[in-house]
Amino acid sequence: MAMRATLRCLSANFSPRLPLLSSAGRDNRAARLRWVSGTRRTFSSCSVLSTALKFTEKHEWVQVEGGIGTVGISSYAQDALGDVVYCGLPEVGQRLEQMDEFGALESVKAASELYSPLTGEVTAINTQLAENPGLVNKDCYAEGWLIKMTIEKPEEVDALMDQAAYDKFIKSLEE
Amino acid sequence: MLQLRRTLALLKGETGNQLARTGSSLPFLDSANNSSGLVLQSQSTDVYQNLALEDWIDAHVDLQQRGILLLWRNQPAVVIGRHQNPWSECNLPAMRKMGIALARRRSGGGTVFHDHGNLNLTFFASKKAYDRKRNLKVVTEALRRLRPNLDVRATDRFDILLNGHYKISGTASRLSRKSSYHHCTLLHSADRSALSTVLRPSCPGILSNATPSVPSPVANLIDHAPSLAWEELLEALVQQYNTEFGLSSVFTLVDPSSECVFPGVGNISTELRSWDWTFGRTPKFRVETLLELRDEHLPARCSAQLQMEVKGGQVESCRLDVPAGWLPLWLSRQLSDVLVGERFCPHRAAAAVTAMLRAEKGQFHSRLNNLCEAVLAMMG
Repeated sequence: MAMRATLRCLSANFSPRLPLLSSAGRDNRAARLRWVSGTRRTFSSCSVLSTALKFTEKHEWVQVEGGIGTVGISSYAQDALGDVVYCGLPEVGQRLEQMDEFGALESVKAASELYSPLTGEVTAINTQLAENPGLVNKDCYAEGWLIKMTIEKPEEVDALMDQAAYDKFIKSLEE
Repeated sequence: MLQLRRTLALLKGETGNQLARTGSSLPFLDSANNSSGLVLQSQSTDVYQNLALEDWIDAHVDLQQRGILLLWRNQPAVVIGRHQNPWSECNLPAMRKMGIALARRRSGGGTVFHDHGNLNLTFFASKKAYDRKRNLKVVTEALRRLRPNLDVRATDRFDILLNGHYKISGTASRLSRKSSYHHCTLLHSADRSALSTVLRPSCPGILSNATPSVPSPVANLIDHAPSLAWEELLEALVQQYNTEFGLSSVFTLVDPSSECVFPGVGNISTELRSWDWTFGRTPKFRVETLLELRDEHLPARCSAQLQMEVKGGQVESCRLDVPAGWLPLWLSRQLSDVLVGERFCPHRAAAAVTAMLRAEKGQFHSRLNNLCEAVLAMMG
């Protein structure tokens, strides 16, 4: 619950002095997730690649498995938001176009709109977040996932940034 | 108002000429030079129109190079935060009697009471320039210049306190794709009696994870600075905004209902007025309460336990435990069934139970009626 007095915004002039998870930390965590997911899959030799995290410029991640995309926000985003106190998520069955507003995360900082990274239908929402919105901060790549959705346009996934590109993107914002 | 216009016409100065040169009647759509700011004052006191205007500006105006300050006030209304529960935040029956509207805004935060004595300021900026502390400094510095003896300070929660104790301003914000807005209230001369009447729960026994308000003692600026006029306050705020951000702002009165100037704003205010947004967006909640029942004829009384789950503002499940000796179980179950699927609203629920009450003409009619009334009263 540390007060981030110098915190100004979600992007651009984000201060590098603030206690962000280190790049290495983020990479390790994401890599662990890929490895765990990869070992569960048995029918594709490209299994690790297809379950790798992809990122949007709005700091959301998507992980695809079995034709379903799991969506969450990145470590950079959760740190910029501050402590999440409420997750406003869509209904299961709601159809989203890429870039549609699908909900908001409320933190002490603001109500931050969430934008759909893909076009598809919501198949599940993380009901744990109702009782424990802080999961978005504590475990943003795993337990803090937000929604799962179908993927109507796989090309949208291909166009997202991979981990390396996203790390580069973050660095460019911090400069 | 006339004095304000004359005074603020002086502020226009050169930028007024600039407007004439560009020939634009829509200064906010013209990305002019960086040292000119924009201060808008809404001519409307309709809370839905003003909230819609905020969303319109956020969605349509390029705020990357220039911020905007919007000044507005509303006829009496209660405004709840994005993820709040109106039944636990405000007294809906009292509001209906007093003709006080309810609105849910898109920013986060807690519940506030708006009226003609409560000034709203919205600071629009790019996400990069989002800085609540700096915005509140505009307010506190303006107040200090007006009345140097006033002890006004912004807190870590971005409230402004008078004399270290009374809240005179609360803050909320919204971050969207590229832009942000931070709005705050400022209690100049609000009706405090109405405020304390309406900012109370309608419904007992609500269990919810909706964002709660943090109640605070409040005061009006005029309680401590009786000679401070509304126009004087506005003028000082505009001047301080210019000073703080190094601007020479154009001041414009705007009509938030104008589709010419703000195409599509009508759709936004329609959505904000809708039951689906105002009540239907309430986070799922549970009600657990005791209903006090009485039979005037005997006289006799008993307590019944009510458990309800409400999702999307509609009754998802309902359990009524009425002692079997008071009403037959099948009747209380029937009432539960009738309520499921209805809006958590006394009017809708009343319509739903009417048929059932008409059908029950026997000895239980009066007790059933009493039970229905107790349930409806509980819904606010």
